[in-house]
Amino acid sequence: MIKNYLKIAWRNLWKGRVFNLMNITGLAVAVACCTLIFLTVYYEFSYDNFHEKLDSIYQVYNVANRPKGVEKSSSMPTPMAAALKAEYPAVKYITRSGNTGGVVTYGNQKINEDIHFVDPDFLKMFTFPLVQGSSNAALSQLNSAVITEEAAKKIFGNKSALNQTLLINIENREQPFLVTGVVKQYPANSSITFDVLLRFEHFPQYNADKDSWGNRTHMVFAEFNEGYDPAIFTQQIKPFVNKYYAEDLKNLKRDGAKPDANGNIFSLALAPFADNHFNNDIGIVEGNGISKTYPISLVVIGCFILLIACINFINLSVARGFTRAREVGVRKTLGAGKWQLLAQFWVETILVCLASTIIGLLLCTLLIKQFKAIFKSKISLGMLLEPAHLTGIILMFLAVTAIAGFYPALMMVRYKTVAVLKGKISGGKPGKLRNTLLVIQFTLSTLLIICTIITWQQISFLSNKPLGYNKTEVLSIPVDQGTRGADALRLMRNELRNNASVVSVSGAYMNFGRGNDGSSRRSVLGFIYNDREVRTHLQSVDYDYVKTLDIKLLEGREFDPNFKGDSTGIIINESMARELGGKNLVGTFLPMLDGKPKAQIIGVVKNFNFESLHDDIAPLTLTMLKDFEINYIFVKVKPGNLVGAYDNIKSSWHRLYPNATFLASWLNENTERQYLSERRLSGIFVSGAVLAIIISCIGLLAISIMMVIQRNKEIGIRKVLGANVFGIVMMLSQDFLKLVLVAAILSFPVAWWVMSHWLQSFAYRVDIHWWVFALSTALALILAFVTISFQSIRAAIANPVKSLRSE
Amino acid sequence: MLSLKQISKYYNTGNNKTYVLNKVDLDVEQGEFVSIMGPSGSGKSTLLNIIGMLDQPSEGYMYFLNEPVHQLKEKQRSALYKQNIGFVFQAYHLIDELTVYENIETPLLYQDVKSTERKALVADALDRFNIVGKKDLFPAQLSGGQQQLVGIARALISKPKLLLADEPTGNLNSKQGEEIMELFKKLNQEDGVTIIQVTHSEKNAQYGSRIINLLDGKIDSSIIL
Ligand SMILES: Nc1ncnc2c1ncn2[C@@H]1O[C@H](COP(=O)(O)OP(=O)(O)O)[C@@H](O)[C@H]1O
Ligand SMILES: [Mg+2]
Repeated sequence: MIKNYLKIAWRNLWKGRVFNLMNITGLAVAVACCTLIFLTVYYEFSYDNFHEKLDSIYQVYNVANRPKGVEKSSSMPTPMAAALKAEYPAVKYITRSGNTGGVVTYGNQKINEDIHFVDPDFLKMFTFPLVQGSSNAALSQLNSAVITEEAAKKIFGNKSALNQTLLINIENREQPFLVTGVVKQYPANSSITFDVLLRFEHFPQYNADKDSWGNRTHMVFAEFNEGYDPAIFTQQIKPFVNKYYAEDLKNLKRDGAKPDANGNIFSLALAPFADNHFNNDIGIVEGNGISKTYPISLVVIGCFILLIACINFINLSVARGFTRAREVGVRKTLGAGKWQLLAQFWVETILVCLASTIIGLLLCTLLIKQFKAIFKSKISLGMLLEPAHLTGIILMFLAVTAIAGFYPALMMVRYKTVAVLKGKISGGKPGKLRNTLLVIQFTLSTLLIICTIITWQQISFLSNKPLGYNKTEVLSIPVDQGTRGADALRLMRNELRNNASVVSVSGAYMNFGRGNDGSSRRSVLGFIYNDREVRTHLQSVDYDYVKTLDIKLLEGREFDPNFKGDSTGIIINESMARELGGKNLVGTFLPMLDGKPKAQIIGVVKNFNFESLHDDIAPLTLTMLKDFEINYIFVKVKPGNLVGAYDNIKSSWHRLYPNATFLASWLNENTERQYLSERRLSGIFVSGAVLAIIISCIGLLAISIMMVIQRNKEIGIRKVLGANVFGIVMMLSQDFLKLVLVAAILSFPVAWWVMSHWLQSFAYRVDIHWWVFALSTALALILAFVTISFQSIRAAIANPVKSLRSE
Repeated sequence: MLSLKQISKYYNTGNNKTYVLNKVDLDVEQGEFVSIMGPSGSGKSTLLNIIGMLDQPSEGYMYFLNEPVHQLKEKQRSALYKQNIGFVFQAYHLIDELTVYENIETPLLYQDVKSTERKALVADALDRFNIVGKKDLFPAQLSGGQQQLVGIARALISKPKLLLADEPTGNLNSKQGEEIMELFKKLNQEDGVTIIQVTHSEKNAQYGSRIINLLDGKIDSSIIL
């Protein structure tokens, strides 16, 4: 019987090869992109799942209910971890965690490595097994260093790393460390990344901050006893907060903080480490987390595309079913049972799905390279062979065959035998179902078109908005780790003094946007002014900063080497001026730092976007404090020959630092890099929209072919009666165009809701204009019309005699 | 073998019932060859379809081989039908995608007949109807008469006790029609197959043993030849 089913199925498929080919193309494309998408999403969700005790590890963060809103921060004071472990018995292990880069010296080679500063519990909590040394002892000594297999290979080659001594330079201090363990190389889906683990006691500023509850510099992770309910943490820890965070509580109360539902104005809370990869609202976390929007929109679009392809399948099968109604009737008179007929049609469906899946997977292998590049995905097709994925694919396959194959089959089987044999059904009515499905397809397609246009608008708005500083002619050079920024700045200034293309040179603690070094820094300071807490971002700069960046000075002057007091003065931005209140602030003294003389305001600058356009411009204070390193050198060049200037500066840099890499980039490159995730989302929408439209149009094309076959006689009669080609094309198209129009209108509210939600995450954003909806609708209508025209024009210009004779 | 009691079939047209068959009583014995005649629209096909269980009566009882068909479940009715009834149509209704051989074989597939037995039965039938040479052709490659021959061979493949034929010669020329009628007669007399045919041709009706005239959904006359 199965052999027979297969044989018949094959013949039927061959007979309807035009339709089946369309069907298979659509479905194969859907399979290919869904495979890529679901693998990517799986990968994102698989982050950190190699940690055996993942579910009992939490990151501690604090929540301050400031008058202006809730502020979460995961930066913790240095004594906190030990105090928590001592006073809160549910904590089994606890570790602080901070990152910096450092130069590792062994023999005469120097290598830049990522250094992670942790407590000994770190290796007991997280699953980083040692291939050499023991997890319990590896970090027991202050001078212990644990390195990864890769780092060991890089530093020591084939020599054994254990018990070797390394020199590591952290913030310009070189110290010897003893390698006491080598960690098995961790998988790529680890949020925690490092080359070297050192004891937290070596973290920069450790000694200064050792007993300070005010300076918060690092993350804290805790593992709790089995069965611990993290929900009770915040309430149970209240006495602890009252005891150690009295200062914060006092300040918050004074500033009018409102308690939350549980009566807390400042509290400690736990974020599960299992969610770390998506945790982007608690402040600093391990690794580069991503917003959940990204995998979710991928999944949604994957499902859309699969749904659209399935709808094609159903519509085409139902349409083809009409032409096969007679066969069903005859088979019934020959004694076919319902299930036998269902099985027969199902075999056809399965063959089509199988072909689509195979072609789809082949397509995957062709596309995976570009896909990985565009979506920064780290997937490989080998992942498909994991048992979980194989099961997933088989389940998806069965689901698709069931959804797409079962309904049309059932419908055919239900035909009334007698009516069918009399030829009453083969005429075929358009059917509510077909129309509904078409509407769904085009609703999804139009939705994606609208999303594409709006994300594109927003991104071009982000790149074109003036930011209040010169981003085209200023080069930002990250200072290499292991070099003192202030020295590098002084040397570069001298070096470039006689360079005709250079206008001015300055340096600062923070970069603009994200540079080639990939780091981002921010420093926020709170102090009491006029009995009220004022919070400001702090940027440490050097002379000529305002001039180099073309920032507009509103009042006062920029730091000037000719004025003695300027090196202890500050320049504030408009937001800060508003925060402080009052006019003529130049000359005012602010008690910014404990234990230091008050700082005098020497200038006020116009607001500029020192952070991304996601955020409003916050209060900012520019200082020349030496406590902050100069991490970036800014060079403003004359317009005209940017490339030449770049090469010039590069060779100057290499003259000064022959071994250091030149990571310079123009500021507009840096600001663009801030919106990589937005570009990625827009890429997803574009690809999704294109695929959705293509697959929908394939389906529409097939349906229009079917319709023309069914209405052939009518078309012939109308032509004989004098209808012209245009009239017939319009007649055949208008029903479909109406459906597309309905679909477009249905997509409006959804698109509006989704996009305005997305735009909310930007402090600076475009408005959603009505013409975007009109344009998308027009686009969908035109594409649908063109698709149908292929068939309707052919039918309309055909010789009517032919179509009438065939009856 | 077949007994219809007060069989009616009506369609609802607006508020009225339009009767196609009106309280028809009919008994057919094993071995009979019945011809049903009547003007177009008199309900002949409807009657045949009800007998052949393709259609269900609106009212009345039907017994086939002493089974009360009106009480049977779908599955039992289907089994009864499969084993005992063969259908021949005016429009042949061969399956276009299947060869002659496969068309004839299909009913056996639905009865789960084993492969070797199937081969033997189909070979027999091809032989008997003289269409061995055509076995690998598709219906479109055959003439009307040949197609109807295949249709009959298919209807008879599972050795039914009752053969139903709705205007089997309607689309054929008179010579082809005659051949089919001769075949029916032979089947009836030599193999003992009970036959009920619908026909418009007085001449073809004469091949049978009884002629039933249908008029406005009622049996107008029943003549035993
Ligand atoms: N689905 C239906 N709805 C209404 N009337 C029908 C339907 N099917 C058949 N009829 C009517 O039943 C009558 C008998 O049809 P039929 O048995 O095919 O006649 P015959 O085969 O004798 O020409 C016809 O008048 C036809 O119009
Ligand atoms: Mg009839």
